[in-house]
Amino acid sequence: MSEGFLSSEWLRLILGLLIVLGFSQLNALFLVWLERKVAGHIQLRPGPMEVGPHGLLQTIMDGIKLIGKELILPLQADKKLFFVAPVLVFMPVLVGFLVLPFGPNMVIHEMNVGVLLIFAFSTFTVLAILAGGWASNNKYALLGAVRSVAQNIAYEIPLLLAVMSVVIMVNSLSFSDIVNAQRTVWFIFLQPVAGLIYLISATAETNRAPFDIPEAESELVAGFHTEYSGMGFGLFFLAEYTNMFIVSAVATSLFFGGWNGPFGISLGIPGVFWFLFKTYVLIFVIMWVRWTFPRIRFDQLMNFSWKVMIPVSLANLVVTAIVLKLI
Amino acid sequence: MKVQEIERVILEKLPDTIFKRDETGKTGSSWSAVVAASGIRDAAKAFETSGFFLEDIMALDFQDTFELVYHFNCYEPGSRVVVRVLFGHDQVPPSICDIFRGAGWLEREVHDFFGISFSGNPDLRPLLLPEDADYHPLRKDFGKVSAYRKREDIYG
Amino acid sequence: MAERQIASPASQKIYSLNLGPQHPSTHGVLRILLDLDGEFIVKADPVIGYGHRGHEKMGENRIYKQFLPNTSRMDYLSGMIFNHGFALAVEKLIGIEVPERAKYIRVIASELNRISSHLLWFGTYLMDLGGFTPFLYAFDDREHILDILDSVSGSRLTYSYCRFGGVCRDVDAAFIDMTRAFLKRMAGRWADYDNLVTKNIIFINRTRDVGIIDRELSRQYGVTGPNLRACGIGYDVRKAEPYEVYDRFDFEVPTGSKGDALDRYDVRFKEMQQSCRIIDQALDHLPGGPYLSKVPQKLVPPKGEVYFAFESARGLTAYYLVSDGSTSPYRCHIRVPSFGNLNVLNEVLPETMVADAISILGSIDVVIPEIDR
Repeated sequence: MSEGFLSSEWLRLILGLLIVLGFSQLNALFLVWLERKVAGHIQLRPGPMEVGPHGLLQTIMDGIKLIGKELILPLQADKKLFFVAPVLVFMPVLVGFLVLPFGPNMVIHEMNVGVLLIFAFSTFTVLAILAGGWASNNKYALLGAVRSVAQNIAYEIPLLLAVMSVVIMVNSLSFSDIVNAQRTVWFIFLQPVAGLIYLISATAETNRAPFDIPEAESELVAGFHTEYSGMGFGLFFLAEYTNMFIVSAVATSLFFGGWNGPFGISLGIPGVFWFLFKTYVLIFVIMWVRWTFPRIRFDQLMNFSWKVMIPVSLANLVVTAIVLKLI
Repeated sequence: MKVQEIERVILEKLPDTIFKRDETGKTGSSWSAVVAASGIRDAAKAFETSGFFLEDIMALDFQDTFELVYHFNCYEPGSRVVVRVLFGHDQVPPSICDIFRGAGWLEREVHDFFGISFSGNPDLRPLLLPEDADYHPLRKDFGKVSAYRKREDIYG
Repeated sequence: MAERQIASPASQKIYSLNLGPQHPSTHGVLRILLDLDGEFIVKADPVIGYGHRGHEKMGENRIYKQFLPNTSRMDYLSGMIFNHGFALAVEKLIGIEVPERAKYIRVIASELNRISSHLLWFGTYLMDLGGFTPFLYAFDDREHILDILDSVSGSRLTYSYCRFGGVCRDVDAAFIDMTRAFLKRMAGRWADYDNLVTKNIIFINRTRDVGIIDRELSRQYGVTGPNLRACGIGYDVRKAEPYEVYDRFDFEVPTGSKGDALDRYDVRFKEMQQSCRIIDQALDHLPGGPYLSKVPQKLVPPKGEVYFAFESARGLTAYYLVSDGSTSPYRCHIRVPSFGNLNVLNEVLPETMVADAISILGSIDVVIPEIDR
């Protein structure tokens, strides 16, 4: 730790938390607007244009509207669980911001098990979805929640196996070490299979199309958040977009070089801009995929994970280990 | 041609059926046969084994009789035939829903609109009317207006 | 198709779920009472009648030309075709001659309507499956058709364009130009749709071997239209009992082989292309002359009946009119194709998954108001 104002551990943490809270809210607002614009343009229409220039203020207005709506509690719903679920789904993704390296020496809390921390906390979202679906006292919500749990568990495994391939290459679970190791060549070129598996699993983990069976609008009305209104629904919604950011940021750090420029050339642009740029490109790709493909049926989804993704990622891990031993 | 063949089969099973050819082309069918209510099941079985499908079941309410009109068709050009069943207002015709499974819903609709029960149809719940409907709208004495005509007025 | 070890009735844990009547993908007000064992459907019972408006009773209380607007409201997606069929039925009953030009115009309008109905089906089917983008592409194309038909009839969805003896307004050069421009535009669009949807592996996995309606089932339930043609029987009323001037055009009747959802999709897709062919030929041979023949103001048909069958976008549709010699029909019955098409779900849905049920329901293309009448 260097000397000076920011040397105090506590001060750094508090400042970091404030920045994280602010950034995550702004990010979620921005991503909702970006999603609607991307969807619009793919569908040959302009998207929101009325509120603010090119609809930039649309999300803020929608947020204000949602805050003003009545919080409806369904009859015989489990009151505590019902209101805890949206909060529970939002908290873990904020933890992810703590260990991500936004730039060289720009980590809020440097941890040597950063990778482990992020993935440990991301499983909380499954719990929250199950809680929300069960507490709603609604058959559609329960069906959606149960499907979501099965999907998340299934896709967690190839996700972690793909990440393990990168970890054993660097011999460290710390994000900063992994990013530093990609100074010359990004890991996506050394581990293309793992990268692809990570991206597919990450889309499934965040319940995005084509894996959005748990919230399939045309089948189950709205899946696990059918009964939520007002800010409860808003929190689920914001958590999905923040989760998308975390997942893309992790992909950037693990596979696309983090805050490094291509081949180590930074072109004078600070690392944090490289990091954000790459993250948002990945988010754009995830959105692009959503609006292009139809939904995969649930049993096909499970088959794909257990019969295709897990064997491939296992094989990749073994091959990586063998190659590392030989080099 | 299937139409001639089925005519022969029906004449075998129900010998006193009268076939009326369609000269004008208005009925969209080759012939129309009047069959007794007791014979409709044999006729339907004959159609089913010959590869016909049940296109429609319709009912007509006259002053002196009810009439059920069955349209059968097969997938060749110009093979539609009509079978008619005449019965009194208090009689109950047999159902053909075990021969043609699609007839179940068609008979439910006829029951809805006319109150004709089909013996042998296990499910005569209202199809288009509300579950608790106890009226039959397409009867000619429904509501305030009685618009009955006799069958021979129309068909001669 | 999902393989399944069929659980014995004793070990099934049944819970009932209502699909509809308010649901994003039931295509009208349809309620299906599902008995589910986990994800699998054990029993399906469609409940209809939420949109029953009494069209058949209305037919008995209106004079013939007052019933023309009713016809469009039954199957509102093939409103022009239903209009056309009713005009033909009454013309047949009375014996009215229709000028040649009117026949060609009615055929062009009906085929445009068929394309717009299939485009809407295409968009909503993909939306049910989760692909939101083709919906907007299809509706963009459909807007062109609606503009064309709007310019000549005054309405976008429920037309009353046909009259007994012809059509109510003549078509002008603008109509012909717009139609030709539309045909040219669509010629380039088929490849786009193919790339976006037909060749998409996710879509193929959602539709292949799903909801197989084979020939025997079709015959039992009176299934007609593209659902029947998907299992290999090439029965199309336009070819089997040609009416208007359909016998003068050269077009094919596409068929499938297995009768699964993918075949039904293929058949409707190719039907759209065949309709474009018919419109092209009709525009080439459009004769001059009058567009409406002289018909007495008070129409009193002779006593008797008429049963006129035609091919709507959903299958074999027929008007059965019984006339007692007065200005209103004694009985006005409409045979609708969606009746049998929905009826068959009683046997197709059990043993499938809920997600498949949505796919099957979308692929059979039912319009509930047509069944409810």
